[in-house]
Amino acid sequence: MSVLHAAEAPPPHLAPVAERLREVTVEVGSGDGSGAGILWAPDLVVTNAHVARATALQVRLADGRRLAAECVVADRRADLALLRVPRTRVALASLADSDGVRVGALVIALGHPLGLRGMLTAGIVHALGPLSPGGRPWIHADLRLAPGNSGGPLADTSGHVVGLNTMIAGGLALAIPINDVRRFVSAAQARVP
Amino acid sequence: MSSVMDLSNALAGAVATAARSVFAVHGRPRLPSTGVLWRPGLVVTASHTVESDREVTLTTPDGQSISAQVAGRDPGLDVAVLRAEAGGVPVAELAPDADLRIGHLVLALGAGPRASVGVVSALDTRAGRAAPGETIAVDLTLYPGFSGGPLVDVLGRVIGIATSGASRHLQWAIRASAVSRLADHVTQRGRIPRAYLGVGTQPVALPEALRERLGLEQRTAVIVVNVRPDSPAGTAGLIMGDVLLSIGDEAIAEPEDVVAALRPERVGQTVTVRIVRGGEPRELRVAVGERPPRG
Repeated sequence: MSVLHAAEAPPPHLAPVAERLREVTVEVGSGDGSGAGILWAPDLVVTNAHVARATALQVRLADGRRLAAECVVADRRADLALLRVPRTRVALASLADSDGVRVGALVIALGHPLGLRGMLTAGIVHALGPLSPGGRPWIHADLRLAPGNSGGPLADTSGHVVGLNTMIAGGLALAIPINDVRRFVSAAQARVP
Repeated sequence: MSSVMDLSNALAGAVATAARSVFAVHGRPRLPSTGVLWRPGLVVTASHTVESDREVTLTTPDGQSISAQVAGRDPGLDVAVLRAEAGGVPVAELAPDADLRIGHLVLALGAGPRASVGVVSALDTRAGRAAPGETIAVDLTLYPGFSGGPLVDVLGRVIGIATSGASRHLQWAIRASAVSRLADHVTQRGRIPRAYLGVGTQPVALPEALRERLGLEQRTAVIVVNVRPDSPAGTAGLIMGDVLLSIGDEAIAEPEDVVAALRPERVGQTVTVRIVRGGEPRELRVAVGERPPRG
């Protein structure tokens, strides 16, 4: 199908993908919410270390349930944290291979920007790589984020998570590639059985 | 749902295709800009990102550093054409002007590659100081360093060159056909001719009474502060103190408008220049010349 002359085809939309992504995006905070997180396993949530700073952490699921969370490991340099919650029976995030991400691909982000719950924003992958030579790699996205998106998912148009939204720099969204998050979780689980 | 993934793949494919012809342009301190291989041996970029009398180097898509020379520039359109031996880099594919419609998705590319996406907001606008049909308005973000980079359609074909825009979210691009006309000058004559009057100007406010009496919409104009002897302006009888209102029907509200009115195509043409001298309107016919080489 030519993408230039698609008038006869039904317009594509992201609603089903967004709905699935919303179910695996949680709110992480000390009561009134300070960031987002991704449901990684029935009892595990991954978020940014800068989101999981409070001593009494709480996770709010998309269906409104609130769960007490315990920080298993927080790595301030990597800005990643692994939280343990009571086992839930909701869908888990489906993860992509972030090495396969291409510049120009459509991406969507879910989070709670400025406290607005479950907001979806969309854009494209702007660039791949470090901010300066020798730095850590990022997925740079031409996509609107705000405080409250931190720790939430950046996903492809199939809803597979490609990154964890972490920073805003020069108007661009910066996400930790999900393969780096995978390695962090594996290492954290090896250390804390 | 799969059609969204198709679109996503098409956009990523467009970036990969177009990026094969995209260079980083090092022609100013600090922030490099972007350039596109337009013709064999000719790279196009934004004129304001390449300082004059400066060594220009390019970084090829595969990371090599090569040198480049400015072959010509049109400061009015903000386009510069550079000469460079770019080896195996493919020439960018251009989209036919007629294919472009308001609402079409477009990508802006920077070297790297880097990309942003948006839509065509308007066609055939008279944006800034460009002539009708030379620019398109696009709703996307041009990030630092994107100046001079290509705007491409979802097939990766170049529709224009990003220059400096109106605001953060409404940007103008110079259409590929206008860029190709400038590249033609370089291929055919070895340079882009710079149209020349031979006047120095300063901005002036037009008194309300004068505007009413002459029925002028513009609030400002420029005053002639010097006239080079034997220049087109001097020959036509322009003198110091003349207030310049328009050149060839284009209103002159500030000195930059004079630069914009002096397009390469005007060299050799005779244009009507409206002035105010001693409070009275006059019209002079000026044969536009070519700017003599510097030095």
